[in-house]
Amino acid sequence: MTSSLRLPPVFQPITYRAFQAGADRVVNAIRPTLGPLPRIVALQRPLDSRGPELLDSGGVIAKRIIQLPDYRVDVGAMFVRDMLWRLQEQEGDGTATAAVLFQAAFNEGVRMVNAGLNARLLQGYLEEGVEVIIGELRRQTTPVAGPAALAQVAYTVCHDQELSELLGEIFDTIGGYGRLEIREGAGRTLQREYVEGIYWERGLFSRQMIADWTRVRSELEEAAIVFSDLHIHQPQELLPVLITAVQAGCRRLLLIADELSDSALSLLLANNKPDHMQILAVKTPGYGQEQQADFLKDAAVLCGGRPFLRSAGDRFTSIRPEDFGHARRVWADLRNFGVIGGRGEPRALRSHVASLRKLHAETTDLVLRGKLQERISRLLGGSATLRVGGVNVREIEERKALAERTAAAVRGALQEGVAPGGGAALLACRPALQRCLDAAGEPEQRAAYRILYNALGEPLRTIAANAGREPARILAELQEAGPQHAFDVFAGRLVATSTGALNDPANVIKAAAYAGLSSAALALTIDVLVHRTEQPSHALPPSPGKRKQL
Amino acid sequence: MNLSTVTMATHLIMTDLQSIHALAASPTFAQDGFCCAAGAGGLRISCDGGRSWRDAYASLGLTSPLTTTAVAFSPDFVHDRTLFAGVPGGVLRSHDAGAAWHVAALSSPPPFVTTLAVSPHYAEDGLLFAGAMEDGVFRSWDRGAGWAAWNFGLLDLAVYALAVSPAFARDETLYVGVESGVFRSSNGGRAWRETTFPMECGPVLSLAISPNFAADGTLFAGTEANGLWMSVDRGATWRAASGWETPSPINALILGPTFPRQPSILAVTDAALCLSHDGGASWQVQRSAELTGVTCAVAPSGLRPGAQVILGTNDGRVLLCTA
Repeated sequence: MTSSLRLPPVFQPITYRAFQAGADRVVNAIRPTLGPLPRIVALQRPLDSRGPELLDSGGVIAKRIIQLPDYRVDVGAMFVRDMLWRLQEQEGDGTATAAVLFQAAFNEGVRMVNAGLNARLLQGYLEEGVEVIIGELRRQTTPVAGPAALAQVAYTVCHDQELSELLGEIFDTIGGYGRLEIREGAGRTLQREYVEGIYWERGLFSRQMIADWTRVRSELEEAAIVFSDLHIHQPQELLPVLITAVQAGCRRLLLIADELSDSALSLLLANNKPDHMQILAVKTPGYGQEQQADFLKDAAVLCGGRPFLRSAGDRFTSIRPEDFGHARRVWADLRNFGVIGGRGEPRALRSHVASLRKLHAETTDLVLRGKLQERISRLLGGSATLRVGGVNVREIEERKALAERTAAAVRGALQEGVAPGGGAALLACRPALQRCLDAAGEPEQRAAYRILYNALGEPLRTIAANAGREPARILAELQEAGPQHAFDVFAGRLVATSTGALNDPANVIKAAAYAGLSSAALALTIDVLVHRTEQPSHALPPSPGKRKQL
Repeated sequence: MNLSTVTMATHLIMTDLQSIHALAASPTFAQDGFCCAAGAGGLRISCDGGRSWRDAYASLGLTSPLTTTAVAFSPDFVHDRTLFAGVPGGVLRSHDAGAAWHVAALSSPPPFVTTLAVSPHYAEDGLLFAGAMEDGVFRSWDRGAGWAAWNFGLLDLAVYALAVSPAFARDETLYVGVESGVFRSSNGGRAWRETTFPMECGPVLSLAISPNFAADGTLFAGTEANGLWMSVDRGATWRAASGWETPSPINALILGPTFPRQPSILAVTDAALCLSHDGGASWQVQRSAELTGVTCAVAPSGLRPGAQVILGTNDGRVLLCTA
């Protein structure tokens, strides 16, 4: 046995009991946070004198649980934690729903397996049932639009009226793919601003290119742009660019290159004379050749022109006037540069954005998805910045994290629609499961549908209990009222889902259902626990992984 | 194509505008006969239904003509006497029917304003929109005093036409005709979304929105070379108007004020006037030497038989027609 496997493996029947105990501890810690009237979880910070951390987000609580003392129990806890953390990273919300769904399905599944059913077969039928649920949730999904509706979606995540209204307005403006930066603000309030055009986080090569020292930036109107990721070492390499620009009548030039030697920069500064030719030089955005190539491709579509690529062996010696891109206005400061009114062919730009959107919708790779989202948002022209203030650094940090989670959920709602919230959408899947149950023949198949049927009521039960209501009575009232109703915990009564007042992002509901129930099905097949004493991965976030298209 | 010839009595007035880019008539034209013609030579005002014209910029004391590319009246003109004129790099506004003007500059470099649109509920919301050739849409919240570019999602900044929903106060919907088709905003011009108008059929030079848009969701788009298109679902889907076969650019589109109950449409090309009384299924076409080079039109009294239609041409002529 190696040093990392000094503790003995755990076999059945202890496996289920230990795994269940660990999973229950995490889920029970998160359970109070579900719903619009959550309870607070106080988390002690042993190395911090600021007192306990007050949390109402299942995802954040899951992240904070590093390890349980009993190694047999720890595996179950970490299994759930990993599932919730991943969900939090993917969707920004839904962790508490996933947690209670997991617990309900897993615990009932354990009883069924202990009663003699085959865990493997049960898992297969549970997976089939999950697909039925996802299909039913998809059927209930409707698009969302308008600042009020978006603010309502935001409120279901953050329970912060001011933040919700601001995010509703912002996303109504920038749309589902628009660019939103959430930054720490200097004041105590929330503030937002809209920025015209597109900008990238790369600044001027030299401070001497700053023309307006009041604003510490330079602007060029009707500028020609040279896009490249070239490393310019010799001033002579730039001469063809300057000569061609002069010959083409371009008196304002933005040069984008990955590296510029001091001597090459000197040549540009020597020729940067407002009455003769204005020149700005900025570094190529992106880290690594792949990101830079993406930038160059997008920028060339946006502004026209031809990008000069290091990987293709391009050099400026072959530059022609038609290789310049053009824009109505460009600006640059020491940290960023931007383009307003790129003069690329609009049809090419629309086709390019459409292809990126298609790729974004189809890809399951979360890293690629994030990059595509960023590229699309830039090309849409314009961005919003939300500045989050607060009375102290701690409040600002917490509110900023909350704003980021909420923004992710609202973006998801805009891209994929909304469904009745408060557990109503999950409950409305029950009739379809009942039909499957009625048609089922195998004992494992019947057990799987029954497990799922029962589990779907758990989020509503938890929401009601957390709000101090009687879950059984509300569940009975909802069963009687039918699937077009949801329970409004604030008003304490049933409301029609058609009003849209209790909508949640559909992507969050689907992802929570999928994560919680599929993980429970998988967990039922675990027979042996092997504990490693060295667990560096526990302190790290899970890999972004794949996002299943639901 | 069901074509027949329509005869319109025309009355020709020569102006010194060199070319006329836009025409607009007062909402109370039937009473005051007030209308404007914008062109390369400036802005002209008529108080007699277009029969005589005077310089609207006389108070500015200009030494050279101020090219004016767009003009629009406040819907509440009878009370506020306000009109707007698009000039290179800015929008002029007058609160006394053109006697004095105030300028509001747009962003630099100076945009070429192609079209102006005023919210139907301007008296309450004070909203205005200006479309520009290379700079997209500018929006003013304060009755034309300040302007800001609002182009979120507008992937094509070459704006030729703007159309505001008559129920704007409720639906906040407006459309722009651009080089590659039609974009829609459903939040008062703060953000734009693509419609399914086929990109290859642009540019869209003119838009006309049904007066009963809230109920019928109908709008028409006139293109440069691909004829007339219509949507009956608020721009979600588009189809080519079945009766239209004229290849000329559609410079102006006007729907009758009682559309769709009386589904009259006037389409103005640079060589003909085309009138339909059945929602675009069939057209009556008038071609004549006089109608060559028509760039813009306004029908202040609607399209009922005998109503006056004012046309502007690219050589500075104003034609007064009777539908």
